[in-house]
Amino acid sequence: MNINDCLNYDDFRKLAKKKLPAPIFHYIDGGSDDEETLKRNTEAFNDCDLVPKVLANVGKPNLSTTVFGRKISMPIFLSPTAMQRLYHPEGDNASARAAEKFDTFYSMSTMANTTIEEIANVSSGPKIFQLYIHKDKSITDDLIDRCKRANFDGLCLTVDTIVAGNRERDHRSGFTTPPKLSLKSIISFASKPKWVFDYLANKKFELSNVKNKTEKGTNITKSVIQYINEQYDPGMNWNDAEYVIKRWGKPFAIKGIMSVDDAKKAVDIGCTAIMVSNHGGRQLNGSRSPFDQIKLISDAVGDKVDIILDGGIRRGTHVLKALAAGAKACSFGKAFLFSLSAGGQKGVEKLLQNMRDEIERNMILMGCKNLKDLDYSRLIFRR
Amino acid sequence: MSLKNCHNFSDFRKLAKRRLPSPIFHYIDGAADDEITYNRNTSAFNDVDLVPNVLRGVESVDLSTTIFGKKLDLPFYCSPTALQRLFHYDGERAVGRAAQKFNTMFGVSALATVSVEEISSLIDTPKMFQFYFHKDRGLNDSCLERAKAAKFDVMALTVDTITGGNRERDLRTGFTSPPKLTLASLFSFATKPMWGINYLTKGKFELPHLQDYVKEGTSTNTSIGNYFSTMLDQSMNWNDAEKLCSQWGGHFALKGVMSVEDAKRAVDIGCTGIMVSNHGGRQLDGSRSPFDQLAEIVDAVGDKLDVICEGGFQRGTHMLKALSLGAKACAGGRLYLYALAAAGQAGVERALGQYKSELERDMKLMGCTKISDLSRNNLRFR
Repeated sequence: MNINDCLNYDDFRKLAKKKLPAPIFHYIDGGSDDEETLKRNTEAFNDCDLVPKVLANVGKPNLSTTVFGRKISMPIFLSPTAMQRLYHPEGDNASARAAEKFDTFYSMSTMANTTIEEIANVSSGPKIFQLYIHKDKSITDDLIDRCKRANFDGLCLTVDTIVAGNRERDHRSGFTTPPKLSLKSIISFASKPKWVFDYLANKKFELSNVKNKTEKGTNITKSVIQYINEQYDPGMNWNDAEYVIKRWGKPFAIKGIMSVDDAKKAVDIGCTAIMVSNHGGRQLNGSRSPFDQIKLISDAVGDKVDIILDGGIRRGTHVLKALAAGAKACSFGKAFLFSLSAGGQKGVEKLLQNMRDEIERNMILMGCKNLKDLDYSRLIFRR
Repeated sequence: MSLKNCHNFSDFRKLAKRRLPSPIFHYIDGAADDEITYNRNTSAFNDVDLVPNVLRGVESVDLSTTIFGKKLDLPFYCSPTALQRLFHYDGERAVGRAAQKFNTMFGVSALATVSVEEISSLIDTPKMFQFYFHKDRGLNDSCLERAKAAKFDVMALTVDTITGGNRERDLRTGFTSPPKLTLASLFSFATKPMWGINYLTKGKFELPHLQDYVKEGTSTNTSIGNYFSTMLDQSMNWNDAEKLCSQWGGHFALKGVMSVEDAKRAVDIGCTGIMVSNHGGRQLDGSRSPFDQLAEIVDAVGDKLDVICEGGFQRGTHMLKALSLGAKACAGGRLYLYALAAAGQAGVERALGQYKSELERDMKLMGCTKISDLSRNNLRFR
C-alpha cells in the first residue's frame, strides 16, 4: 500500500498505522475516556441526509470561501495540531507547503516543532496560528507579536484545553514527548526502524516556539498532558481573550466554543470567527459534537461571525452537510495527520486533492454552483 | 494486570474477574432476565450531550454537596451492597475506610458482613444503613435500634426487592450465601486458590445483623433472590414505611423509587430523600433507568427532599449529567465493588480517586467551579 492507493480516511489511517510506532499512532487516533464523543463527531453527520436538486446546470462549481479575511480555494483547511515532527520528519513544513499548493489554511500550533518565522519563509499561503494562554504572560505576548511580524492571516485562541483530557490510550501506551523508550513501547519502536531513523537523523525535537521561554517539553521528558497542566493558565477568562484580540488587531477566532451563550460573547468581544469544536473528542468525553450543535450556533450568530466546524470531518459530504447547517468552512486534524504520517507533504496533498474532488463532485450531484447554495433546506434529519 | 494498570471502570472489572471465583464475579456482574435494564442504566447517559462554557476562570473546583444535612466532599457515595466480604476479605471495612478518606457517605447493607457497631468504631464520616423489611419483626426492630445506637446518619428502606429478581447468572453458576461448592462451581473455586485461602483464613463469614434471627445466608445456603422472596415481608405498604420513618426519627429515605407518584408519597410520609434506582438492573428487567426518569422526579419533588440518582455510573461525565439534571448526589454499587474485589481498600481508594479527578477535570472543561453551577442549560438531548 502506498500513498497513491489512499482513497479515503481509512486508507490514510491504515497506512499511518503501518508507519508509526504504536504510542504515536494512538496519540493521534485516540480520544478521551470511552471515546464516545470522538465517534459521535463523525456519526452525527449520518443523522441527516442530503437532498439534491437535479437539472441545475451547475458546470464547474466554485468551491471558494472567505475566512480570516482571506479567500481560500476550498471550504476545508488544516486544523492546528501539535508536534507534527512526530509524524513525519518534515513536520509542519510539509503541511504548510501542501496547504499553500491547494490555497487553503495551514494552522500552526503553539506546540509546533518549527518556528513561526521558519514557516513564514516556507509558505506565503494562507496561515493561522493557534495560541494557548500561558501562565507566563510574556510567552503569550511574544507569540502574538511574532505572528504579526511573520504576517499570519489569523489567530485562534484555544479555550477547551483548560486542563488536559483523560486520554487513556496514552496512559497505556506510555506516550510522552519527546518519545521515550519504555519497556512497554520498545517493541513498537523497534518494529518501525524507518520512523526511528528519520526521527534521529533529523533536527532535534523541540517545541520551537516556546523553547527560549520554557525548558518544559523540550529537554525534559514530559508528556503533552503534563505540559498542558503546568503551562496553560486554568484561570483564563473572557478578559484574557479580549486582551489577545486587542494586541493582535487582525482576524481572530476562539476555538472550542460549543454553547450559544459563549458564541454570543465571542461576538461581543470582537471575534471575527468561532471554531465550533470539542478538540476532536480528546477533551471532555460526553460533550456534544460540533455538527449536532452547529445549527443552533449559526442561528444565533451566523450573520455576525464566520462559523468554522472543526471535528469529525472525513468526507466531502460531511463538509457539504456542515456548510448547509451554517458553517462557512470546516477544518480537520486527525484526517490530515494520518495523511502526513503516511506520506509527508505528498500525503497531505493527496488528502487535499481527494477532498477537493469529493466536494466538487458532490456539489455537482447536489445541483449547487456556489457554496452559498447549500442551505438548511438541503438537509433532512431522520428524527 | 495489576492495580496500577486500572484506569477506569472496565479495567477494575477485568481485574475483579481474574481474582474472583466465577459464581461470585457473576453475582456482582449480573442482573435480572436479559439484563436490558442493567445495560440501559449506563447507555442512557449517551442520549444526552454536555455543552461546555469556556473562559470562566476555573482554577479550583469545589465538588462538595450536602445531602441528608451532611456535607460530603464528593457528589457521589458508595451505595450499600450485600456480602462484601465475599468479594474481598476486608469487605465493608475496606470500603468504609476508603469512603472516609474521601469524606463521602458509606452505605451499609442489612446483609453486610461487618456489623454496624464495628463500622461505627472504624469511621466517623456519614453513614447510611440499608434496611430490608423482614417478616420477623424482632429482626426489624433490632436492625433499627442497632443502627441508631451506632449513630448512623441515614436510614434507607429498600422498596424494590419485595421479591427476588430473576438473576439467571446466579441460577447457572449456583451462587449462594454462604458459597457452596457444587460440581459446576468446583472448577472455578479451584482456579482461584487465593480467594479460597482468604475466605477460609481471614475470619468467619457472618451476616451480623441477621444471624441471630435467621439461619439463611449464614449456616443455610441461600441465593439472594431466594432470600428476598422468602424472608422479606411482601405485604409491606406505605403505612409500614411511614411507621418505620417515625420509629427511626432521623433522616429517612426510600431506595428504589421510580414513579413520580411514589416520589410524592415519599414526601408525604416524611422522607428526607429518595434514591431513584432499579437496584442496578437486578430486579425488574425492562424497567426504566434512573437517569431516564430523573428529570421528572426532580421536577416533582426536587425542592422537597434530596433526590439521589443511583445506578449505571461508570464515569465522571455520567455523574455530571445526572447532577446537571438536578440530582443532589450520585450513588452506585458496582462503582466500587469491582475495585474492592480487585484490590481491597487500595482498590476502592484508587477507584474513588479516579472518579474524583475525572469530575474535577470535567467540571473545569465544562466551565464550572461548583456543583450548583451545573444545570440543564449544560445539556442537550439528541
